[in-house]
Amino acid sequence: MDNGKRIKVIVSMIGLDGHFTGGQVVSTILRDAGMEVVYLGTYQTPEMIVQAAIQEGVDVIGISSHASNYNLIGELVDLLRKKDMDHILVICGGTIPKQQILKLKEKGVAEIFTPQSTSKSIVNYIVSKVRGANGGPNK
Amino acid sequence: MKRETDYGHPIKSVYAPSDIEGFNYGKDLGDPGSYPYTRGYHPNGYRGRMWTQRMTAGLGTSSEANKVLKQYREMGQKGGMCVISDRTFSMPIDSDHPLGRKEAGVLGWPGSSLLEFEELMDGIPLTGQSVTLLGSCAPTSLRLAYIVALAEKRGVDVKQVHGSVMESPFENYFGQTDGQPFDLNLKLFLDASEYAIRNKIRMRSAIITQHFQESGGNNAQALAVEMAMLKEICGLLVNERGLDFDDVAPLPYELVTVGTRFFEEIAKMRALRRMWAKLAKETFKAKKDKSCHLLIAVHTSGRTMTYQQPLNNIARCAIQTLAGAIGGCTSIDNACLDNAYAEPSPLAARMSLNTQHIVAEETGVTDVVDPLAGSYFVEYLTNKVEEEAYKIWNKIEDLGGMIVAIQKGYIQDMLREAAQEKHREVENGDRLIVGVNDLVIPPEEDFEIPLQEVQASDSENIARRMEEWKKTRNMSLIKESLTQLYSDAKKEDKYNLMPSIIEAVKDYATAGEIMGVIRQARGLSYDTLKMIDCPFKFE
Repeated sequence: MDNGKRIKVIVSMIGLDGHFTGGQVVSTILRDAGMEVVYLGTYQTPEMIVQAAIQEGVDVIGISSHASNYNLIGELVDLLRKKDMDHILVICGGTIPKQQILKLKEKGVAEIFTPQSTSKSIVNYIVSKVRGANGGPNK
Repeated sequence: MKRETDYGHPIKSVYAPSDIEGFNYGKDLGDPGSYPYTRGYHPNGYRGRMWTQRMTAGLGTSSEANKVLKQYREMGQKGGMCVISDRTFSMPIDSDHPLGRKEAGVLGWPGSSLLEFEELMDGIPLTGQSVTLLGSCAPTSLRLAYIVALAEKRGVDVKQVHGSVMESPFENYFGQTDGQPFDLNLKLFLDASEYAIRNKIRMRSAIITQHFQESGGNNAQALAVEMAMLKEICGLLVNERGLDFDDVAPLPYELVTVGTRFFEEIAKMRALRRMWAKLAKETFKAKKDKSCHLLIAVHTSGRTMTYQQPLNNIARCAIQTLAGAIGGCTSIDNACLDNAYAEPSPLAARMSLNTQHIVAEETGVTDVVDPLAGSYFVEYLTNKVEEEAYKIWNKIEDLGGMIVAIQKGYIQDMLREAAQEKHREVENGDRLIVGVNDLVIPPEEDFEIPLQEVQASDSENIARRMEEWKKTRNMSLIKESLTQLYSDAKKEDKYNLMPSIIEAVKDYATAGEIMGVIRQARGLSYDTLKMIDCPFKFE
């Protein structure tokens, strides 16, 4: 990955989930940490998110989820794979139950951030994954 | 650790008469049952009428939600039922919509047709209890149409049905949205409210700050926003729809979110009664005393129900229920111990209803009205939250009222900042939350609670059922009623669409079809999500 650029992240809700507070709070956290955030808002389909990810050339897709059957997050990961875009890191945040966390990780979601996660843990995780474990020149 | 109210006002270690200097019992409080109603609306409080003890239901199919409602009745749910809409009906789209079918039955009841409402209410009386259908603003007119249609089918006088099915358009800006444009939501909300008032249907409109507070808004902001919304909506019904304020006043109700900051929550409820009474009397020149009574329902706070150590939420719920009861309310529904994960499991629902029963039967709180009146601290807090709320409300009025404040983004910015602040306070340890930033245990040591889940296959099954059922309907009837609706929806905004919506609902047109036709008549895409085309042709 290009270490000279700012880390670019999509923050989005998916499907019919109309809850946007969590996504807005996390967007601010990531911006404060120096990342470029593309905030897509509500009612995004997997197709719309993947298209935006390609257009914007993002490093990470972050899905904020209030509650769901988590069907569409799996579809998002599959679609990225189909389009050969699975180098883009997919992470999720929200009040996601443990059983679902296991299922989503099996599907290929890199990490799930629950209400237990601190701002720092989210930022550090993204930086270490995008820049590599020992950090890039921007770190 | 901060020693401040949730709106940032410092709290001292002790309060004395000097903190409520100029306190005038008659003017500031009045006896329970008299103006300005700070102490409540009934001279004998809960002795005369207990608060309605209810739990929110709705998840999976309509028949499943029906079973849950029946279980709640067996668990001692008295006086009222409360059902929340799923992701599809909240918008509203149909469960067989390409995106709807992925999440039908998630988070609520998939009520996108009269058939679903009939299944929901199977074996459950429409009268003798309050019927509350919640979710979002957009399906407001449909929910009212369901009540009218089912009452008619059952041969029940619709005037005998009471509850709440309407919801104001402002909530779309309070942390969640239904995806419909504000002007459309407002029009349909006013149509439904006007129809209910003119036809003496005792269905109330939720003009509520629950979502605002659950998204992080503080107590003073919530009071200000509530008053600004009430003023705007009542003003529109009086001035634009030509209704008498004394007929409008019984329409709104406020669903107050009650958190764990015990005294502040009680103060907020007391201040709200006083503020509404003044608005009703001084601004709207209410002629009836009853018009100065704002019905206050309590929702114990979902945002305080932690993901970590969920059993701790039982304790929080008990404290909040007690605060709600002392604050004086008409009904309480509880966020449950599993609120951070799912809709209530039977265990969580029973715990919550029992929490209400324990508070009602065992603590003695129902014996005495407004027991904290005269407490230097509580009276100070009541004055303070009112004072701070008036400052914010005045700002909203200076901007031009609630609608303009939303259009200018003022409310959204205020809420976003408040949510960030709440997040910062927890991260910095300024506010301690047990199990979250205090006395934390490793996740693997956490107690596992039973959880209700909706699987992808459940959503697909709901969608398939709707698909198959749609084919069995009398399409010429539906076409006829939707054509009428389409032509009515092209008329001026004040033209009330309720009669034609009710006819379409009775013919089993679905929520997606009805909303789609209205949208199309107004020059919008038939499908909110622009994925399907209108199956009907209108001239």
